[in-house]
Amino acid sequence: MATNNEKAKGVLVDLTRCIGCRGCQVACKSWNERKTGKTTIEGNFTNPKQLNSDTFTRIAFIEQDNGAQPVWSFVKDQCMHCQDPACLSACPVGAFTRTPEGAVNYTFEKCIGCRYCMVACPFNIPKYEWESTNPWIRKCTFCSDRIADGKIPACIKVCPTNVMLFGNREDIMKEAEKRMKDSPGKYVNHIYGKEEAGGTSWVYLSAVPFDQLGFNTKIPAQKLPDLTWNMLGTIPAKVGALVVGLSLIAAFRNRGANNDDDSSESKQGKEK
Amino acid sequence: MAATSTASALPAPAAGFKALIALVGVGFAAALYRFWVGLGASTNLSDSVPWGLWVAVDVLSGVALAAGGFGITAAVYIFNMKKYKSIARPAILTAWIGYTVVVIGLVIDIGKPLAFWHPLVMWNPRSVMFEVVVCITLYSAVLALEFAPAFLERFKLTGLQKFLKLFTFPLVIAGIVLSFLHQSSLGGFFLIMPHKVPALWWSSNLPYMFYLSAIALGLAMVSFESIVSARAFKREQEMEIIQGLGRGVLITLGLYFAFKVGDLAYRGALSQVFSSGKASVFFILEMLIGVIVPIGLYAVKSIRESVNGLFLAACCVIVGTVMNRFNVNFFAQAGPNSNYFPSIVEILITIGLVSLMVLLYRLAVTYLPVFHEPGKSH
Amino acid sequence: MTNHWIDFKNADVVLVMGANPASNHPISMKWVMRAKEKGAKLIVVDPRFTQTASKADLYAPMRSGTDIAFLGGMIKYILDNNLYYKDYVINYTNAAYLVNPDYKGPTDLNGLFSGYDEKGRKYDKKTWGYQMGEDGIPKKDPTLKDPHCVFQLMKKHYSRYTLDKVSSITGTPKDKLEAVYKLYGSTGRPNKAGTELYAMGWTQHTVGTQNIRAMCIVQLLLGNIGIAGGGINAMRGESNVQGSTDHGILFHILPGYNPTPSASVKDLNTYIEKFTPKTKDPKSVNWWSNRNKYITSYLKAIYGKAATKENDFGYAWLPKIDEGQNASWLMLFDKMFKGQFEGFFAWGQNPACSGANSNKTRAALAKLKWMVNVNLFDNETGEFWKGPGVNPKDIQTEVFMLPCVSSIEKEGSLSNSGRWAQWRYKAIEPLGQSKPDAEIMNELFHKIRDLYKKEGGKFPAPIMNLTWNYGKHINAHDVAKEINGYYLEDVYDTKATPPKLIGKKGDLVPSFVFLQADGKTSCGCWIYSQSYTQKEGKIINMMARRGKEDPTGLGLYSGWAWAWPVNRRIIYNRASVDVNGNPLDPKRPLLRWDANKEDPVSKKPGMWVGDVPDGPAPPMAKDPGKYPFIMMSDGKGALFVPAAMNEGPFPEHYEALECPLEENLLSKQRINPTVKIFGEKEDAFYSCDMRYPYVATTYRVTEHWQTGVMTRHTPWLLEMQPQSFVEMSKELAAEKNIKNGDRVKVKSGRGEISAVAVVTSRFKPFRIGGQTVHQVGMPWCYGWQYPVKGSQGDSANLLTPTVGDANTMIPETKAFMVNVEKA
Ligand SMILES: Nc1nc2c(c(=O)[nH]1)N[C@H]1C(S)=C(S)[C@@H](COP(=O)(O)OP(=O)(O)OC[C@H]3O[C@@H](n4cnc5c(=O)[nH]c(N)nc54)[C@H](O)[C@@H]3O)O[C@H]1N2
Ligand SMILES: Nc1nc2c(c(=O)[nH]1)N[C@H]1C(S)=C(S)[C@@H](COP(=O)(O)OP(=O)(O)OC[C@H]3O[C@@H](n4cnc5c(=O)[nH]c(N)nc54)[C@H](O)[C@@H]3O)O[C@H]1N2
Ligand code: SF4
Ligand code: SF4
Ligand code: SF4
Ligand code: SF4
Ligand code: SF4
Ligand SMILES: [Mo]
Repeated sequence: MATNNEKAKGVLVDLTRCIGCRGCQVACKSWNERKTGKTTIEGNFTNPKQLNSDTFTRIAFIEQDNGAQPVWSFVKDQCMHCQDPACLSACPVGAFTRTPEGAVNYTFEKCIGCRYCMVACPFNIPKYEWESTNPWIRKCTFCSDRIADGKIPACIKVCPTNVMLFGNREDIMKEAEKRMKDSPGKYVNHIYGKEEAGGTSWVYLSAVPFDQLGFNTKIPAQKLPDLTWNMLGTIPAKVGALVVGLSLIAAFRNRGANNDDDSSESKQGKEK
Repeated sequence: MAATSTASALPAPAAGFKALIALVGVGFAAALYRFWVGLGASTNLSDSVPWGLWVAVDVLSGVALAAGGFGITAAVYIFNMKKYKSIARPAILTAWIGYTVVVIGLVIDIGKPLAFWHPLVMWNPRSVMFEVVVCITLYSAVLALEFAPAFLERFKLTGLQKFLKLFTFPLVIAGIVLSFLHQSSLGGFFLIMPHKVPALWWSSNLPYMFYLSAIALGLAMVSFESIVSARAFKREQEMEIIQGLGRGVLITLGLYFAFKVGDLAYRGALSQVFSSGKASVFFILEMLIGVIVPIGLYAVKSIRESVNGLFLAACCVIVGTVMNRFNVNFFAQAGPNSNYFPSIVEILITIGLVSLMVLLYRLAVTYLPVFHEPGKSH
Repeated sequence: MTNHWIDFKNADVVLVMGANPASNHPISMKWVMRAKEKGAKLIVVDPRFTQTASKADLYAPMRSGTDIAFLGGMIKYILDNNLYYKDYVINYTNAAYLVNPDYKGPTDLNGLFSGYDEKGRKYDKKTWGYQMGEDGIPKKDPTLKDPHCVFQLMKKHYSRYTLDKVSSITGTPKDKLEAVYKLYGSTGRPNKAGTELYAMGWTQHTVGTQNIRAMCIVQLLLGNIGIAGGGINAMRGESNVQGSTDHGILFHILPGYNPTPSASVKDLNTYIEKFTPKTKDPKSVNWWSNRNKYITSYLKAIYGKAATKENDFGYAWLPKIDEGQNASWLMLFDKMFKGQFEGFFAWGQNPACSGANSNKTRAALAKLKWMVNVNLFDNETGEFWKGPGVNPKDIQTEVFMLPCVSSIEKEGSLSNSGRWAQWRYKAIEPLGQSKPDAEIMNELFHKIRDLYKKEGGKFPAPIMNLTWNYGKHINAHDVAKEINGYYLEDVYDTKATPPKLIGKKGDLVPSFVFLQADGKTSCGCWIYSQSYTQKEGKIINMMARRGKEDPTGLGLYSGWAWAWPVNRRIIYNRASVDVNGNPLDPKRPLLRWDANKEDPVSKKPGMWVGDVPDGPAPPMAKDPGKYPFIMMSDGKGALFVPAAMNEGPFPEHYEALECPLEENLLSKQRINPTVKIFGEKEDAFYSCDMRYPYVATTYRVTEHWQTGVMTRHTPWLLEMQPQSFVEMSKELAAEKNIKNGDRVKVKSGRGEISAVAVVTSRFKPFRIGGQTVHQVGMPWCYGWQYPVKGSQGDSANLLTPTVGDANTMIPETKAFMVNVEKA
């Protein structure tokens, strides 16, 4: 199902370039007209603490004390726009679609609010409007409306230090590899999203090991929907086998007698 | 007359009955509140734990608890084990009520209750959830038809009854197939998140695990009901049947245990049984209560032969399997800062739904020929 | 800035010291990161590990207020290790100049320079002058060996700044010091460029100006001034603060950096005489010798026809300050506190939160009869009469609020730190009854003039004679043209025969080169002359240009907007070539003297190609060659400053007014000997006081703007930075039993604030003079008004002291002493 055509877009997020200015976070709220919630400082500047239905992207401030000198990383989160999205496959009503550009988008009109997409997403991205009685699932849209308009996503547009490179996914993958090759030792040897969950449209480079930055590095390289499809795909065969098998067993076990007391009743009738 | 005789055998509405109605009423009020204010204000669900008590109990466990329906019909109609015929109808009733309540639970749980019908017309065949919804819908219909004779009998619509009989076999087979599909698919929900569900539970065989444990649980549930209703209605315990059910549970549990251990070993996850922290504790508890202890109980002759022993074993299986559903559901989601405990509204609704089940069951057995097969009443 | 924002990308080493651009000037980091991508190294020196530090190749911590020690050590290191760029130093700086033999420095006088007057807290600078030759030009020793030459004096001065000494003052580990010195010192070669970025981390000290001076010395030694990728770059603050300083917002300058006359400067001639620097050195351009043209054209701009040769062009109507008067911020509020003002316009500011020692500032506001708050929003200043601890009944001040429009609701120009004036347009219509500031001023002016007309007054002339012909609504273009300047009469080149017409009456002057001293031209601000100009009859708003060509590849973008002076993108750019006009670094050629081309104006052979040069004259070695530093009277970069600085010709380390040390580890002189000490009990300060044991500093966060009036009401921003915090080291937190996220009290001798503790490894304890010194830091962007009436914290300025830099009087809000306790 992964449609990796030449239209497929991607974003290379080079975390080594992020200065934590949070312009992207505001730009996203601004473009998508999102509200805010009440926050507090809890000894760290990450705010809101998690993505939520009003926050599609957020910078996490991650501080590591390496003795002599701290390492301070700023990590941008948003939907990864998987090439074969778990959310899309999980949704019972097909509320998610994947555009030719690779954006994974949501249709409110279809959604029933079962939240399976939230549980299924390997990156815990879809968020729910808990306070609403007619709730949406919300998440980064890849600014598809902007892309359709020939613009680049809002968060990318405002970023002062070009943390994000928007382009054809193939090209940005090449660029990621080039940067790794050009600066040996600068990055950890891992392009996050190249393989995770079967490949994502947004991929990351980092100087700090990904698992230390809150990335889940246990996500298999597999296209996750295959895992359920392996089961679902065999349903017709299973149904066939079961029907035939059960009929045969029933026929065998009920041989002779006309199998239940309904028939015994009729037998009785006959006897009468 | 069958119906009157059954009715006359029942005790008058007692305090317990009123309490049931009260609980259902409170649950109903809680549900209204939930619809009025939305999920955020009424539940403790959050972006970290989007699936809570309702999914774990009302859906995952509720469906499994109702597995007795297809288990018994399979025994009776497919394997021609006649002695279980007398409990076929109660089992079907249990299942039917179970599914009805599951559907009510689902409508309460989904964010857009008015859109509950969407999956029937907006199809995503790649979604396990879609498959489950379709199966549950169809199976509910099958159960309704399977249970229909009780109504037809009660209202003496023999013509229709006769007509329906022609479909007994196809219905039974359809029921078994549908059950197989969605019981296993409930486990299939979690296949897509191998990195979230701890290795103690996650396996590509998870659907089969769910299926097997559902059978054990379904049978245990039927025996539980038999024992309880016999006591309630002061009938004699049908030892042969409940012992037979016990054997069925034992065999299924044995298979399940072997399968589980084999699967863990095959995936090299055996070592994690004791090394997964919190998950280990819950896993071991679940296996002990739901599998190992009941196997032990059933294995002891004196226990196997006592109603109380069988009852205890059945309870263990029920508790253990419900724990299993809880564990899979919560460990699949629990992020580092998820701290979920159901809200009072959630609990009241779940209690209300369970009470509704019992209430409906009691009403059905009171007013419909559930326990007495027509032929035998004469 | 000597250079400009984009130019950062040309650097080989970027030193960020005294600023946190990642937070406060994010766009600047675009260019810093660009440089890094090309292999440049980023050094950050800051008391705490900042967002900028997170991107650094080398980070060095340093106790607040010790930059001169740090940089003094760097100067010594550069001299000791011969890292300086010798040709540049000899040719382009005053290193070879011989100083008065009576000059004595801190080495001899234990922390003081010769000429100190202890009672007056000031210097007699007589001994700081040069030895003059018979030609009236300072004597020089190009071998730099003479013990009285600047170079040798500098060497002697900084000989005390050893690694050990510096480390024990700053708290910077020695290996870090050495690493920074070595890396930055590596730019002392012609093919290497090092740039320095600073802002308030350097200025807000009692030694603020000297902090910057110290870096100027480093940059001159390394040959980093005037070149692409070099310079000293003040990343400025309020959006148009560059423009407002250019246009004379400070008390001591008129537009275009012409000094404000004092009462004793009686007439225009005296003014010109006094403020026109002289030199006998024929190679020095001494640009300020044009002062007469600029001040006269300015007078013509403001008094128009009323300004005549006979009445000294209205010079008498100019407002004067008293002799030696200091009318800076702290002084104003001190006077206000003492009840010496009746009224006050708080125009586009929020002193109740931004002014140092807020309790004093807030008390001062209460002494006013009336106050007018011209602002976008009601703010803490407008609401001081119902602030914390204030009973509105006790306040007599009448407060008026004049709502004004924001920058995007009006048209006009804006000057950025790179001196680029950019025209911008109105984007949306103003809300409600709010008006642009200029409209408010316009109305005010008309009202005041009408009153003068009706009722007369003490001194009506300055108001009655002001040319204020904008009509009912001000048109920004009219003002911009007035600033650029007009020919008021036909102007002829009288040297040519027959005299040639240069400018036609009524035309806009093409640039300040054409301004006249005889009243035939007007110009509102000479450095902006050429910004709105006329070419072949066509009027061009240069500031509105949007050319995207970059032929040099150095990012000059000379066709984009307009930079003062005369669209020069890098000033002192004549120092980027050798004495023959060849680029010092052929890879980054900013200018080149092309002997074969003919100068289009003078029609003489030889002309500059590249950026707009600092004057068309040929390079130094040619005839009539000129020195590169045209704004200095001697044409040289100043390693030694004979007169301009109050506390000495070389920067010397002094402790902050409030400091943790009994004694300056370098000399007997603990604090800057020339700062003004305020005497009220509200001005109390506490050094080495057990009650206030920790060094504190204040700073900004990206999410809030200044006192937060414009950002605290913006939910998207408030969500990210919701409340006041105080950052501290894990070690201090452990000592005080404070946990991350705890609510704490921060107290100084003047006030107290409540904040959330952020316990972090980004602050580390310092080893100072053998003892452990802790530092904490907090933002100052909160106020009681919003959010939630004070619960999110009040301004950190409740803690800061009333004391300022000895030259500029900018308050010392970057280094003072506090205590921190769990609330
Ligand atoms: N987002 C945002 N941007 C702004 C502003 C704002 O309010 N918000 N304000 C604007 C204005 S008006 C200005 S003036 C500029 C100011 O820009 P900056 O000068 O960058 O601002 P600060 O954060 O006040 O201080 C910078 C750094 O100085 C450090 N520091 C403290 N004491 C010392 C010291 O003794 N020596 C050294 N070397 N460093 C020290 C602090 O730790 C801090 O990291 O920012 C402008 N930009
Ligand atoms: N402790 C401590 N104190 C400091 C500093 C520090 O680093 N530490 N930094 C100092 C520095 S560098 C500065 S620049 C000062 C700033 O001090 P202030 O200038 O007093 O503070 P601001 O909050 O910038 O106030 C500007 C006001 O102008 C209003 N405004 C915005 N646009 C317009 C407009 O177009 N017209 C008018 N009329 N008003 C407008 C805003 O709403 C705001 O209230 O604070 C200084 N105070
Ligand atoms: S990251 Fe999650 S929400 Fe986004 S496309 Fe992938 S599965 Fe869907
Ligand atoms: S919550 Fe909505 S979008 Fe998500 S899986 Fe359910 S129906 Fe689909
Ligand atoms: S792509 Fe658009 S929606 Fe997604 S994080 Fe960026 S700005 Fe937000
Ligand atoms: S805008 Fe760019 S630099 Fe700023 S926080 Fe976002 S990704 Fe980082
Ligand atoms: S806020 Fe505006 S002025 Fe400041 S760095 Fe960003 S773009 Fe530049
Ligand atoms: Mo500023």
